Amino acid sequence: MKLLFPVLLVCTSLLVGCATTNQRVLDMGDETQLQKRSYQSRTFETGDKEKVLRATISTLQDFGFIIDRADLILGSVSATKLDGNMIRITVSVRSKGSDRMLVRANAQFNVSPIEDPKHYQDFFSSLEKSLFLTAHSGE
Amino acid sequence: MIKIKEYVNLRTTKQSSKVRGLSALLIPLLLVGCVTIPPNIFVATPQLLQQRQLETRRYDGITEVDLITAGANVLQDLGFNLENSETKLGVITASKQRDATHGGEIAAAIFFAVLTGAVMPTSKDQTIRVALVIRPVTDSNGSAMTDKYFVRATFQRVVRRTDNSVSSETLNDPQLYQDFFEKVSKSVFLEAQKI
Repeated sequence: MKLLFPVLLVCTSLLVGCATTNQRVLDMGDETQLQKRSYQSRTFETGDKEKVLRATISTLQDFGFIIDRADLILGSVSATKLDGNMIRITVSVRSKGSDRMLVRANAQFNVSPIEDPKHYQDFFSSLEKSLFLTAHSGE
Repeated sequence: MIKIKEYVNLRTTKQSSKVRGLSALLIPLLLVGCVTIPPNIFVATPQLLQQRQLETRRYDGITEVDLITAGANVLQDLGFNLENSETKLGVITASKQRDATHGGEIAAAIFFAVLTGAVMPTSKDQTIRVALVIRPVTDSNGSAMTDKYFVRATFQRVVRRTDNSVSSETLNDPQLYQDFFEKVSKSVFLEAQKI
């Protein structure tokens, strides 16, 4: 009994380490805004927004996603995959000058953000193939 | 005699507090453990390619507007409600809620209950979602060809059980997609005839 209290105290203090509401809303973790942007974005040398968006949509479909919504003006696509777990992704396409497109993606797995750059690397390398274009890193 | 009894009592309380301490340590540790994200979410597998074959059909000699209109009509034929659409990108999303009770499953649950006395939850209702996407067929240079399009439809469903737990899956029965695209073909024909 004497031992139980300190043990319980130590264990529950581990739980206190959970994030507050503000941390969950802002979701920054240990990364800076810039770090996040750099692994979530690529540029493609094309001025054709529609082509990039259509390629994005078909790439997402290839991965088994259902397209939830898409918008040509805003250049955004949101999609969900259900296979026991839920994966959600939003991809936005913005023009940079007249001959380049910036593609940015962010995704979540069940209730946690996907923060491993490897997943984004995989996604963009598939998008590259579907676009017949090379992705250039960063903003 | 009393001494021995006391000693035994002392030992058991000591042991049980040890056990309790250990479980108090283990249970929060389990809670602290985070969800692991599978390593290859965005990697194409042979199964995914097979699924693509299943979900895609090609239609020639029809404009994109006619094709997407035909597609929307089929979804309505099947009782879906339109959720979202962006015709400029050839995307339609639709869904419907339906009953999910299944005779065989209920029979199994009753059998299980009789054997073990435990209630097994069964499927109650489901939300069926579909995304229908049209994209132009491209030639070897990657540029779009006129009046040649791929239609790709993906069906998913989220099933709710009697205990309110949910499970989700992407549908991959070839017969389902076969039947669906037969209806699309019929609708394309009707659209072409302007019926």
